[in-house]
Amino acid sequence: MSYTYYPGCSLEATAKEYDMSFRSVFNALGVDFQELEDWSCCGASAAHATSKLLSVALPARDLAKAEATGRDVVAPCPACYQNLKHTREFVLESEHNREVLKKALEGTGIQVEGRVKVRHVLDVLLNDVGVDAIGEKVSRPLEGLRVVPYYGCYIVRPPGKETFDDVENPTSMDRIIQALGATVLPFTRKTRCCGAPVMMSQEEEMHRLSYEILREAREAGAQAIVVACPMCHFSLDAKQPEIEAHMGERLGIPVLYITQLVGLALGLDPYAELGMDKNMVPPEDIIRKYSAKAAKAKA
Amino acid sequence: MRDFRSEVIAAGGEGIAACYQCGTCSGGCPTVSAMDYTPRQIIRMVNLGMRDRVLSSRTIWLCASCYQCQVRCPREVKITEVMAALKSIAMKEGHNSGIARPRAASFYRSFNEIVSNIGRQFEPLLLMKTALGSREGIFTKLRYLLRNAPFGIALMKKGKLPFKPEKIAGRDEVKRIFENVARMEAGK
Repeated sequence: MSYTYYPGCSLEATAKEYDMSFRSVFNALGVDFQELEDWSCCGASAAHATSKLLSVALPARDLAKAEATGRDVVAPCPACYQNLKHTREFVLESEHNREVLKKALEGTGIQVEGRVKVRHVLDVLLNDVGVDAIGEKVSRPLEGLRVVPYYGCYIVRPPGKETFDDVENPTSMDRIIQALGATVLPFTRKTRCCGAPVMMSQEEEMHRLSYEILREAREAGAQAIVVACPMCHFSLDAKQPEIEAHMGERLGIPVLYITQLVGLALGLDPYAELGMDKNMVPPEDIIRKYSAKAAKAKA
Repeated sequence: MRDFRSEVIAAGGEGIAACYQCGTCSGGCPTVSAMDYTPRQIIRMVNLGMRDRVLSSRTIWLCASCYQCQVRCPREVKITEVMAALKSIAMKEGHNSGIARPRAASFYRSFNEIVSNIGRQFEPLLLMKTALGSREGIFTKLRYLLRNAPFGIALMKKGKLPFKPEKIAGRDEVKRIFENVARMEAGK
């Protein structure tokens, strides 16, 4: 197992802890990866809203660079994952598409053929590493921890030609969480949009949508929400104090990246390796109970 | 001048003629309650050629591109792509005024501008540019920035907002891609 790692812009900034925990967990699981050299932005929602052609031309540069490495791409950000995956499908679809793209890339020397696959981190953890291998490495089982998995939109939608999970009721994250010994609670808003894409233009809509997700998690009795998307994390974690103020209601629900949860069960350092001091809603109760390092400090 | 429907299809909104108005799209839409026209209505209006009303609607900017409508559409209308196509046409023509929310187009424009200059996104600058580049009054802009300042500081304290943008070595390539695409689209 060997991959080209495409972090994307969020993982360099507001989702720093996703980057840290991704690297630590993949290292701990013995999965080889190398960051794509001099990668550029995938274009995110802005390119998509600006021009269909731009939304495939920007990721094409990254895809071409990845092809030179010969290894499949792993992208933890679902928006990057979708944009790169869609670009590959666009390239493979027709000669006409390849010609159009060639023109858009004129003068850059970039050529893209769609040779390497684009994978999301959940897909790699579930289908390449496998729940058995993850389970074997668990040194601190998360027994008694009750969580809800929140997938958001782009992990499963649109499915495109190739996908790894169900479009209405995904379970890949559920199965990884269960392999760690934690309990997955039923959750109806698994794939309901959190509103992040309209955060800057229509704040109140983002507040309402994220609040509904947070409220259901609390009513289900979840101790944390587990996510695999930097945008979902931003609306549910970083914006949670703002949502509380807006709704006049205290929520205080920690939101963890799946890689932080896996790392915790593998006995990794919650701060130095998993960046859990960077979460805006502090997950201290969970760290105290399940971290090997915290237990040692107490003893 | 071709008709509006063909224009939307050419911009990426495939399958729109197949719509039989069942409303599954509107039923699953997370932001429908804030829209002036439901997604089902927008599709019908595009098919009827109601260009100005569609392009000046709030709906197209409220679409969060979540793809819920598109994956459930029994007629395989690419509804999310239709909405993206409408945004792109509206932005090119400066339709983003009046009842539409002015900050949305500013967000997309600012995002593209930063990426075309440095090759990656730089979030602190994106927030500033989005607010200042919108068509709101100066006091609304300043109020928005001031309201967000403490949040920005909280993020910085956590080491989650870099102070300096990461300029990539291949940023000329990225700029060239933007220029090529703009030229190709203008030549259409």
